[in-house]
Amino acid sequence: MKLMSTLTPAKDRRVVALAKRLHLSKAVVNVILALVAVFWLVPTISLLVISLRPEALFGQSGWWKVFTAPSQLTWGNYATIFSQGFTSGGVLDSLVTSLEITIPVTILVALISSLAAYSLVFGSWRGRDMIFLVIVGLMVVPLQVALIPVVQLYREMGNLFGLNPYGTIPGVIIFHVAFGLPFGIFLMRNFLTGIPKDLLEAGRIEGAGEWKIFYRIVLPLALPAIASLAIFQFIWVWNDLLVALVFLGGNVHTPLTIFLYDQTRSLAANYWIVSTGAVVSIFVPLIVFFSFQRYFVRGVLAGAVK
Amino acid sequence: MTSIVAGDPRVAPAKASRRRGWWRRNWVSLAFLAPGIIWLLAIVVYPTIATIRFSFYDETATKYVGLHNYASVFSTDAILTAFKNNIIWVLVFPFFVTFIGLMVAVLTERIRWATAFKTIIVMPIVFSTTASALVWRTIFDLDPHIGVVNAIEQTVSDWFRAPGAYPLNSAIGQTAASLASFNATGGSGGSVISKSAVHPGDTVMMGLTRISSVTLQTLGAQTPVAPQKMKGGIAGLVWNDFSPMQTSNTTTIVSDEHGLPNLRLSLVSSTGTSVASTVTNSSGGFSFSHVAPGSYHVEIVGSNFQTAFLGTFWLGSQSLTPVNGLNQTAQSLLSVPLIDLAMIISYIWIWAGFAMVLIGAGLAAINREVLEAAEIDGATDWQKLRRVTIPMLAPVLTVVFVTMVINVLKVFDIILNMAPGSSQGPATTLALSIYNDGFTGGIHSGVASAIAVILFLLVVPAMLWNLRKIKG
Amino acid sequence: MSSVTLRELTKRYDGNDALSLDSVSLDVAHGEFICLVGPSGCGKTTALRMIAGLESVTSGEIEIGDRVVNDLSPRDRDIALVFQSYALYPHMTVFDNMSFGLKLRKVPKDEIKTAVTDAARILDLERYLDRKPAQLSGGQRQRVALGRAIVRNPAVFLMDEPLSNLDAKLRVQTRAEIARLHYRLGATMIYVTHDQVEAMTMADRIAVINMGKLEQVGTPRELYDRPANQFVAGFIGSPSMNFVPMQVESVDDGLRVVSAGGDMDIILDDVDSSAIRRAGVSEVVMGVRPEHIDHLPRNDRGLQLRASVDVIEFLGNDEHVHLNSGDHELVAIVDARTPLTIGDSLTLSASSEAIHLFHPETGVALK
Repeated sequence: MKLMSTLTPAKDRRVVALAKRLHLSKAVVNVILALVAVFWLVPTISLLVISLRPEALFGQSGWWKVFTAPSQLTWGNYATIFSQGFTSGGVLDSLVTSLEITIPVTILVALISSLAAYSLVFGSWRGRDMIFLVIVGLMVVPLQVALIPVVQLYREMGNLFGLNPYGTIPGVIIFHVAFGLPFGIFLMRNFLTGIPKDLLEAGRIEGAGEWKIFYRIVLPLALPAIASLAIFQFIWVWNDLLVALVFLGGNVHTPLTIFLYDQTRSLAANYWIVSTGAVVSIFVPLIVFFSFQRYFVRGVLAGAVK
Repeated sequence: MTSIVAGDPRVAPAKASRRRGWWRRNWVSLAFLAPGIIWLLAIVVYPTIATIRFSFYDETATKYVGLHNYASVFSTDAILTAFKNNIIWVLVFPFFVTFIGLMVAVLTERIRWATAFKTIIVMPIVFSTTASALVWRTIFDLDPHIGVVNAIEQTVSDWFRAPGAYPLNSAIGQTAASLASFNATGGSGGSVISKSAVHPGDTVMMGLTRISSVTLQTLGAQTPVAPQKMKGGIAGLVWNDFSPMQTSNTTTIVSDEHGLPNLRLSLVSSTGTSVASTVTNSSGGFSFSHVAPGSYHVEIVGSNFQTAFLGTFWLGSQSLTPVNGLNQTAQSLLSVPLIDLAMIISYIWIWAGFAMVLIGAGLAAINREVLEAAEIDGATDWQKLRRVTIPMLAPVLTVVFVTMVINVLKVFDIILNMAPGSSQGPATTLALSIYNDGFTGGIHSGVASAIAVILFLLVVPAMLWNLRKIKG
Repeated sequence: MSSVTLRELTKRYDGNDALSLDSVSLDVAHGEFICLVGPSGCGKTTALRMIAGLESVTSGEIEIGDRVVNDLSPRDRDIALVFQSYALYPHMTVFDNMSFGLKLRKVPKDEIKTAVTDAARILDLERYLDRKPAQLSGGQRQRVALGRAIVRNPAVFLMDEPLSNLDAKLRVQTRAEIARLHYRLGATMIYVTHDQVEAMTMADRIAVINMGKLEQVGTPRELYDRPANQFVAGFIGSPSMNFVPMQVESVDDGLRVVSAGGDMDIILDDVDSSAIRRAGVSEVVMGVRPEHIDHLPRNDRGLQLRASVDVIEFLGNDEHVHLNSGDHELVAIVDARTPLTIGDSLTLSASSEAIHLFHPETGVALK
């Protein structure tokens, strides 16, 4: 006969037992939460439905009518987008631009943060903790404060080196990386303190140099933290509007956020393109979110500061 | 053993080689740190200092103007409006989002589909605020065919007060009495009642005026026909007593006047009670049969004139506080635009999941036995929540609250995308002002910098407080 | 003060085949201090929590006083529970921790004050009434947990291993305090522990539980002198009883019990002989406590064994000697002044009264 009570963790037993005793109110709670869940889903569903209905129906009947007349649904809007291809100013072009911005930023922030964190944790020079505190303190700076001078800075660079990042994608990337670093270094450094120094010593004894140790020992171990950071950074940059507006405002190729914003400025809003564009813009971070759900929650918990 | 004395030539080389050794040992580590540091210095530290400097200079950034820009900030209505809106956001949003996050986190503990539920609530964080703003803009749209909220409002409103076939124009303050023309006068409850009394066997004619031709066309009004007398009953006609061809109202029916269909009528006895009801036909004719002897009036009931649903302009800047008649500055400072409420609701939809996740983590960390002890001490579920759980959650709740305060001080995307052009001004915030003054229209970089510095000063204490709480 | 009665109390958790608690019946008299002992996972804490109302009952009944309380929620059962982790309210002062239950029941403020200060005095907590749990030591927190229970003046005190988080010295001290408390309050106390020393020293009666089943209930003396089975015999007493499987042999004048190596044998007295005959077994497990083994040859009845000294543990007044006898290992407690070295060959004995005989399969005591 097995010792059953050692199989079930004590805490689970108690929670289940308590929950069962509140049997009656459990039904009420379920109803309330079901209503809340439905309310929460309505906006997202409305967006999906609008994008799947012909433009003509938009002002005539509410999107909710689709539940009684499912034949209204059509892929027409998406077909139009895809037939547009990558013409600049279109949805697909903006999607690519968003990727062109977000992916390099994410990689750069992950890399530079890890390097800096490595130095702050495993370096042997004094003042590491001081510098770390200052860097973390920089998380406090709202990016609005830096916009105007950076535009100017870019102009200076243009005068000095002939390369003015203003109005270019690298210009946006540079700005985003900078403001992703304090949080990134914070996250990575806190994670790296959990790695025992012995591992590095073992590597050094075997003759590995610092870079090799970083690349082959520390980085693989730090992947969970990098994943959390990457997701958070990715979604943050993907959804940014302000920085993109400032640095890429009048550009030919703009990211999805600017694309959507432009659509709202026109009085006769083309809802077919706005909704399909919004769905496309939502689609990518949703995939990232669902693939790395675990890491996302960790990132949110650590990202309470952001 | 020889002792080393300061100044001894043997000392200097040792120190130099130590420093060289230090570099040799640490240069890689410092090289790792360098990119990050340089990046931060260039794009974060230097620009912050520069902005502070700019805020003290004029628009061309050449002439030192001291606190002039700051003075402008506090005397420009548009920017004062921004301050006011930020205050509204800070007062309303963090409290409600934390509250909802708390309620939801607590309730979620009891259900089995908690993971699925949490995913649903958290998802909106992943959408860009821009996309969310667009979605909610649709939801709050004035037109009930587009906006869910107004559609629901209309359904509810129509259920209680169904619009009549001849709705009054409330915009110009039209009343039923103003429609009364021939043999008609305003009655009680927004109705129109016949002036003369009728008896069984009589005919009666009533005229209404100021009926729009659109209504007539929609209802398919026909040419009126004179009523025939009816034994033991009362027959009559209600017609649109207005002819473009004639200059004054007469009792005769002119050829291009129309009968008024679909009017609900009530036969009112001398005691005031309704004894019968009917509806006019497409020519405006009607009849009451088998009427008991007596004196009656014909009433065109008030529901015929019920105004149509108007819709709530959620995205508009009409104020929830009474500010009409105040001067411009006072209005900027005291009005609470309705769109702020709409935007706050949308923003709660986006961020409640964040609050829920953090508070949920805090809840999970609470020792179950403390709650069991409370139960044994005699606490009901509500008492446990209020007196044990929430106090124990206080640290998490404050972190969430402060984080949301910081978030809302910088709010930008949602206003830019959700407010229609006419509401942009009344709904603006500090971050939006920085953008507008710094990068659009006439560039006022000095003032924009001043606003940025003020924003910085508002945000910094909150973030430092939060940082301390998280580290500790 | 109330009595507590458990009738065929059974607990099965969802999704598990085995029972956490199997048909346990127990009568606790009012004012009695009873200990539920057993190894980890045996079900004793489950039983306690069921009495408290924190776990549901699968079958059986729980009575407190005259009432069947199965369907009552914990707050209606008039019980107090001292948790192993103390479960103090971290955001409340000691005073508020102790008065919380009374406040909920709308007891007037001055009554609360008297009750709390009285309890604080008994537990020597008066100085700490304004402190929060985080500012207290482990021992102080434990006393606050006790105070919280005392203040409620419940029908039954339930305690779940309250001493296990304390260091050894504090444990001994607090043991005595709890015993004193029981004497002073005359309260019905049900105390759960895995430590048989606590049970033996504090309880009026002990209930030994193993794998959900009640093995034996009795006073400490009863459990010590007359364990009902091998489990109880081995559980009670420290160092634990020695067990040796032995064979029953028929000899001219009756029965003899011999160990497999021949180095141990028992000359049975009449009581033991008839017990073995009644059980009809050819093998038997002998049990004898270390403290009952003497460094002397046998009188005329009883156990005698020859063994060599393996390990000697000096404890000041006594020595615990680990012995090898044939294939068997035993422990004996002898006077520390006995001159012994490792490898010595000794002759030891134990009287008939000190010998326990157990059924080789069921473990039930044969006497």
